[in-house]
Amino acid sequence: MDTSSPAALVNAQILNMFVGRRVRTVVQVQRNEGGFLVGQSTDGHQLTIKSSVDVPVSHFMEVYGIAENSQTIRAEVCTDFGPDFGEILCAYGVCLCPFYHSTVN
Amino acid sequence: MAAAKLTPNAVTATLAGDTNLKPVVQVVDLRSIAVNGPPGAGPRFRAIISDGVATTQALFAAQLCDLARSGLVRRGAIVQLLDYIVNDLSRLVTKLSSICSGFKAMVILNMEVLVPECEIIGNPVLPPESGASNSSSVRANQFNGAPASTAGSTLSTVTRPTDNAPVIQRSMPGNSSNMVPRPSYNAQVFQPTVQPSYRPAPNYRNHGTIMKNDAPARIIPISVLNPYQGRWAIKARVTAKGEIRRYHNAKGDGKVFSFDLLDFDGGEIRATCFNALVDRFYEAVEVGKVYVVSKGSLKAAKKDYNHLNNEWEIFLESQSTIELCPDENSSIPAQRFSFTSIDKIEDSENNAIVDVIGVVTSVNPSTTIQRKNGMETQKRTITLKDMSGRSVEVTMWGDFCNREGLQLQEMVECGAFPVLAVKAGRVNDYSGKSVGTISSSQLLINPDLAEAHSLRQWFDCGGRDASTQSISRDFTPAASRNEIRKTVAQIKDDGLGMGDKPDWVTVKATVIFFKTDSFCYTACPNMIGDRQCNKKVTKSDSGNWLCDKCNQEFPECDYRYLLQLLIQDHSGTAWATAFQEPGQELLGCSARELYMFKENEDPRYTDVLLQGLHREYLLRLKVKEETYGDERRVKNTVAKVDRVDPSAESKFLLDHISRLTGSY
Repeated sequence: MDTSSPAALVNAQILNMFVGRRVRTVVQVQRNEGGFLVGQSTDGHQLTIKSSVDVPVSHFMEVYGIAENSQTIRAEVCTDFGPDFGEILCAYGVCLCPFYHSTVN
Repeated sequence: MAAAKLTPNAVTATLAGDTNLKPVVQVVDLRSIAVNGPPGAGPRFRAIISDGVATTQALFAAQLCDLARSGLVRRGAIVQLLDYIVNDLSRLVTKLSSICSGFKAMVILNMEVLVPECEIIGNPVLPPESGASNSSSVRANQFNGAPASTAGSTLSTVTRPTDNAPVIQRSMPGNSSNMVPRPSYNAQVFQPTVQPSYRPAPNYRNHGTIMKNDAPARIIPISVLNPYQGRWAIKARVTAKGEIRRYHNAKGDGKVFSFDLLDFDGGEIRATCFNALVDRFYEAVEVGKVYVVSKGSLKAAKKDYNHLNNEWEIFLESQSTIELCPDENSSIPAQRFSFTSIDKIEDSENNAIVDVIGVVTSVNPSTTIQRKNGMETQKRTITLKDMSGRSVEVTMWGDFCNREGLQLQEMVECGAFPVLAVKAGRVNDYSGKSVGTISSSQLLINPDLAEAHSLRQWFDCGGRDASTQSISRDFTPAASRNEIRKTVAQIKDDGLGMGDKPDWVTVKATVIFFKTDSFCYTACPNMIGDRQCNKKVTKSDSGNWLCDKCNQEFPECDYRYLLQLLIQDHSGTAWATAFQEPGQELLGCSARELYMFKENEDPRYTDVLLQGLHREYLLRLKVKEETYGDERRVKNTVAKVDRVDPSAESKFLLDHISRLTGSY
């Protein structure tokens, strides 16, 4: 995990508070369209991730980068968490806790 | 020429005050009266006019005297009274014992002569010759409101020997016997509908109600009672009845008893009686019943004992009367409260008297306390909680412990948390603020009041579990500093820290970043008294650490955290600075260790930092605007770090929610 500069953990709704700043979030990849991916954010919205990394569909991916606008993040670091990361429950967010800490620590 | 028809009952009506009647009446007598007025005023004329049945004296106004003088109006003339006034002179007749209390003097201002002369119509009762002696004026049958024939300027000349009345300035008395009443005429007919004075029932006639101050007075609201009021009467419900207290003073022994009255308007007043009157009234007065009280004297209320909202107090005397009103039950409220919510009690001053209402959440058993005078008394404390999110300790003394206290204890033990209303409790600031009962306090369990019902509802729908701060205990640090919860965004939005003093807030936020460039500094280890100097020390040439303040060099320095961190919650992010203690709490290792890890490029360095991230804390922040050179920036300092305790936090949130919903 990169600790060089602060990044706020965001979801789609608060992403627009951090436009132009470094953010971090987890998305579930839905479409891979060469050059950018479309993923579902923790609160059920679509986010566009500009990344060169290929992450297979339905895998969870952590994105760390600059928010370009309220729906797009230009990824600097992408980490594939695999398909077993958690569940995005319709609009209620990802249940991250048990998996997240175990992955990180 | 047919006799004109006289307006029936004209005399009665006009004397009673009907000035629009314009009755047709007959002049049955007309005489002139010499006047001591301005010269050339000429004689004034006094007439007796009749409506065929009754007669009354009337005085012609100056402008009409020409008519009389010229003979256009004479005995037997039928006239229509167009403008007339009836003066009530009863107020002037105060000391006369034998004169009834209504004196009407009619003055005719304008009339029209209809028939110049006519025989007497009807059977008017002529008044007896003026000057009839007083005793004859006192008749066994009714006295009518004898109209005085004279008014105004004719007084001095018409001095008829009056009745027994000693001093009389106006010479009406003789005429007081004018009206020989006909059986059909009843004194009651003359009952004034517009006059405040009371026309006495016949059997008071001789004694003169005015003289004896006997007439029943009208009921007035308590709020207008004052010592300058004449006769008064109030109708009120007894809300509190004191005990008979015996006292001893220079005049000897005595006993005193007082009770509180509440009337329809919500006015309250205390009534007190002494000695013999105590015996008379103590049994008669019962709480909750409505009485008409009158003929007491009013004095200034003693605010030390009397906490009612009235500057006066009634002192009952031997002629005071208290009558029970058995049928008056619903228009007068049973008790009147003005409740203060518990959070406002916190701001009340010591010894203030308040009414408070709340849900009883706990009842402690009675304890026996020794009082200063050696007597023992019971004391019991209960906790009251209300919608303001605060709870207060209520202390009951004496009888309250056994009566209401026991009842409350049973109810709480069964799980039924009752609503308790306290009237006239005293605020005590012994430990925090608490409320204690005094002798005139009243405790009402589950009263039928709107506030009680809304409290019950609030409690049952979640208020029960809401967390409350007690204003009664010596404060926990959080409470005493008035823990204000804010979101991270509110630190900026609310403009915190901009005032003279720093603002202290609590935020629940997650640490998302530690600035690793300089997370600690070298501190002076010197102990000054019981505190460490902690000033930044610089490395001197000799390899030692030099402290400017202590002016000493140390081989070893202390490492203290100066940790800058970024905190985030749902509303936004903010930078904060944590010093030694909070820093240690956040990272879990000492600054020195961390510094060593970094120096040695120990992998544990990143581990520690990572571990500290993404944890939610309750951070107590000191927010203050500071000047950095030319720039003014708001700085947040972490004073305390607390882990989020799930159950306490849940209580807080539930309380918050219930407060939000309760306010709708």
